[in-house]
Amino acid sequence: MHQNRYFVRRSLFLPAFLCPALAAAQAPTPETVIKVTLDAPGLVAASAIQGADTAWLMVSTALVLLMTLPGIALFYGGMVRRQNVINTMASVVGIAAVVSVLWFALAYSLAFTPGGALGGFIGGVGRMGFSGMEVLGATGQVAVSHIAQHVPESVFAMFQLTFAIITCALVVGALVERMHFGALLLFAGLWLLLVYAPIAHWVWEPGGWLAQLGALDFAGGAVVHINAGAAALVCAYALGPRTGYGREPFVPFNLGLTMAGTGLLWVGWFGFNAGSALAADGRAGLALLVTHVAAASGAIAWMAAEWLARKRASLLGLCSGVVAGLVAITPAAGFVTPRGALAIGLAAGVACYWGATALKRRLGADDSLDVFGVHGVGGLVGALLTGVLADPAISGAQASVLTQLIACVAVLAYSLVMTAVVLWITSRFATLRVREGDERAGLDASLHQEQLGH
Amino acid sequence: MSTADPFAIAAHLHVLLRRKTGRVTDTEWMATNADYAREIVRHAREKAASDGHEELLPWAEKLEAAIPAMGVPPRKTLLDVAADALRSASPGEGNQYVGRLR
Repeated sequence: MHQNRYFVRRSLFLPAFLCPALAAAQAPTPETVIKVTLDAPGLVAASAIQGADTAWLMVSTALVLLMTLPGIALFYGGMVRRQNVINTMASVVGIAAVVSVLWFALAYSLAFTPGGALGGFIGGVGRMGFSGMEVLGATGQVAVSHIAQHVPESVFAMFQLTFAIITCALVVGALVERMHFGALLLFAGLWLLLVYAPIAHWVWEPGGWLAQLGALDFAGGAVVHINAGAAALVCAYALGPRTGYGREPFVPFNLGLTMAGTGLLWVGWFGFNAGSALAADGRAGLALLVTHVAAASGAIAWMAAEWLARKRASLLGLCSGVVAGLVAITPAAGFVTPRGALAIGLAAGVACYWGATALKRRLGADDSLDVFGVHGVGGLVGALLTGVLADPAISGAQASVLTQLIACVAVLAYSLVMTAVVLWITSRFATLRVREGDERAGLDASLHQEQLGH
Repeated sequence: MSTADPFAIAAHLHVLLRRKTGRVTDTEWMATNADYAREIVRHAREKAASDGHEELLPWAEKLEAAIPAMGVPPRKTLLDVAADALRSASPGEGNQYVGRLR
């Protein structure tokens, strides 16, 4: 995901990072900047910042946040029953708020800073407590991450925050219509710290053990989608099925909202994938193109599968196929050609249709909005096909199916186990599931005392 | 209809046997049941040898050649196989939104 392009001599700037006063005395003029490598977040001369890359990353940050607010809120809100729409949307907004605060309090540091002796598994605490992110106009210096040394760390951290937000928000799809709102927010905060942050560190921090192993995950096939899918499955098992599940028809509130959410996801995914190039360059452009191709081919493949199985092409199927293609291209976006993207999208469309129908029944969990079937299965398909279809000419990265498989299994296993642990901890402090009467009445009225208009 | 089609062969043999030997056969059963077809082949050759109805022989050979394919279900295209697999994965339309969303 991250490629360092601009390098600043660490010996010159590390003391400045440790001591701002010294930094003021030693601050180089823009003309004397020497390009070397940072291996931890630090200060660089403002002239080292690339305006175009920074602007694109800021736009991408906004696009990825739009995927959650309102993208996921609309996508999920349209699929639940009328009496739970407000709760579903509130869950997404609440998670975005909790994750945002915890991100700068601790999670960003755990995910994206080097971690000393345990650096392969978890980051350090050097950026905890809202620290770092300096912009020192007086000395002409700006804090950058060692992962993207040509954009301000504030922008990099914000961009990564939007990934954390959407990953936590995706899990909501498995536990809608029956989980206590307070318990959900507590769960999301703990899950961010104990599950998301370590996995992001493994894959995206250069010292992470999967990064060291050579696992390729351009924009989060494993970190975001396999992770969220596994967590969703555990949540669905732990909470149990909704009252009446399998006996009563759970009619979606408004698939028009779901379609609007899909549109926002599709557009926002350009920021998700092309933004992950961390630069406004040719690779970002290719990532944008392959993202679009995979979304389209995913929709076509899902539609074809549904046509073969049921002789119909549904709107929800088309929307699901779009998301399936987008999920699967996520790990591959900076590594594959447009033809590769077409293959990935087609494979994901069929695989995710199977995941949301036959596999879902076999698993027996009420994964209410098919988070595992679409994101878990799509993420696995994309991550493995990245190992098959990655073109070394694009990035110079050599792909290995075995390495990709190891990464998939590691993320899947860790997320399954640790999500169960987080749910257990949450249950010590809050009741996970609402009472049956409240569930029957709908969570909008019983938890939020609000209702949709007529 | 192709002369390699078991039904076409059975129809020819049925007419020849009826005309030459007076034997009435079941055309459809001859074209689908290997045991019955073998018996008809044996009977046709026996009549050709005993009564000199040599025109029965080429059709007996054709029917014998068609026997291995009898009872084997027609080969499905890849599309048919995929459709069957996906269809079996889908509950009936009457269960819309019951236990599933998609």
